[in-house]
Amino acid sequence: MSKNITDRYQWKDRLLGLLVPVLLLIAWQGLVNLKLYSDLILVPPTKVLSTLVYLAGTGELTTHILVSLRRVLTGFLFGASSGFVLGLFMGLSESTNRTLGPFIKALKQVPEFAWMPMIILVFGMDELAKNVFIAIGAFYPMVYNTYQGVSSVPNKYQELARVFDFKNIRFLSKVILPSALPSILTGLRLSLGLSWMFVVGAELFGTDSGIGYMMYSGREMFQIDVVIAGLVVIGAIGFIMNALLKMIENKVLVWNVSVEGGKG
Amino acid sequence: MYLLKEERVKSMNIRNQIKLRIGSLALPLVLFIVWQFIASQGYILAMILPSPATVFNTLITNITQHDLLLHVAASLKRVIVGFLVGTVSGFALGLFMGLSRTAEKIFAPTFHVIRQVPVIGWIPLIVMWFAIAEVPQIIIISLAAFYPMTLNTFAGVRNVRKEYLELASVNGYKGIKLIRKIIVPSALPSIITGATLSLGMSWGIMMAAEFFIDTSYGIGTRIQAGRSSFNMALVLVGIFTIGLIGYVLTVIIETLGRVVNQGRDVNKEI
Repeated sequence: MSKNITDRYQWKDRLLGLLVPVLLLIAWQGLVNLKLYSDLILVPPTKVLSTLVYLAGTGELTTHILVSLRRVLTGFLFGASSGFVLGLFMGLSESTNRTLGPFIKALKQVPEFAWMPMIILVFGMDELAKNVFIAIGAFYPMVYNTYQGVSSVPNKYQELARVFDFKNIRFLSKVILPSALPSILTGLRLSLGLSWMFVVGAELFGTDSGIGYMMYSGREMFQIDVVIAGLVVIGAIGFIMNALLKMIENKVLVWNVSVEGGKG
Repeated sequence: MYLLKEERVKSMNIRNQIKLRIGSLALPLVLFIVWQFIASQGYILAMILPSPATVFNTLITNITQHDLLLHVAASLKRVIVGFLVGTVSGFALGLFMGLSRTAEKIFAPTFHVIRQVPVIGWIPLIVMWFAIAEVPQIIIISLAAFYPMTLNTFAGVRNVRKEYLELASVNGYKGIKLIRKIIVPSALPSIITGATLSLGMSWGIMMAAEFFIDTSYGIGTRIQAGRSSFNMALVLVGIFTIGLIGYVLTVIIETLGRVVNQGRDVNKEI
């Protein structure tokens, strides 16, 4: 009985959440019906949907998505792994932190996009330049969050490790990493989110494939339905990536809490 | 005796502090020397790596002859307007969703879905719709400022301590007075965090906006000019300028945040 009631409340909440999207769609369609704007500027929602279906049907959309995903993963792996290693060293050794910390902080003051022209001058316009650019975006949150996690491992864990004579790799894998894991996972999620943002940016800069390119060429040819379809796709992929990593995070965090609870 | 010991500790602290400062300068100094060495030996084309002297000269001529300061002013103006529009509307939405659970249920799902679209992705659409002077840049910048401000205001308002709200209702605080005297002051640290993040985002996205949307003035425009004329020194000057101003902006807003926070003595209250 009470379960039924909570179910009904959740249903009501869901419906409330749909209110804004539905109103927006109605307003959009209404604006189209008024015929105030040309169809170069405003297309009906159904046109966007049919474009999306059409692009998916020809396989064009899948190709663009796969190209973008490959770029993201390559850049993300480079940036996040180097950020992880650096953050780990900075967290473990105070002198490394003192030498590198302020320098990285200073570099961080330069927005990632400002590096783009320099990257293009040095690496040209091909894949490498995009990977480097995405890697820079993935790098910062990973350094910061790994450092935070590693440097704030509770002292009592470290003492316990000393008592058990845990050293080097074992100390790292049994004490430091598990304790820093929540922070590292947050870093990974932020890092992947930024990578996804920067791949779109990198592809707007000039290339011949990728979801960002699809939107860019849509703009050049005044196909606003393609531009909006691209927006829907990058939003959906960003949403899925975030949800996936959040799911992993939650699973790991549950495990983490239960271990801590078990130890009292 | 005791005083002496105290003094020694104090002086040691200063010495440690100096050590720390020197330690943090070591890496940039080494990099600078390596840069100068490589540039002077000509191992790498001057087009890719100009010497420090060339970069410095480019900086000077850009200030004296090429209106670097006007470019900086144009970028700053864009960021400030976009930041204000974005944070004010983010504050309003965050406050609204924080105060009313119904408002949260109505707006939060849409907000969180739209937030997943990278800000850069909006650029083609915004440019097609609002191709008027500064409008597209400002919309993009304010969108970047909007998200962190909404999230942090919402979190701050939702986490106002129950005791405060009870005390307020006992004293008959309602409506605007409740918001002004109780809710906003106790949510302030979170709101300030939001504003700080928003400013950083605005500054970062401004670069992208200037790259992708044609403008005649702006640091991003200047860096792009350096790229298209293969003038690496100009690109480096732009990067340096943008980093420096970004740093100054961060320091300003962090100091401001600290001052506002101290004025309320939030730490003593809790």
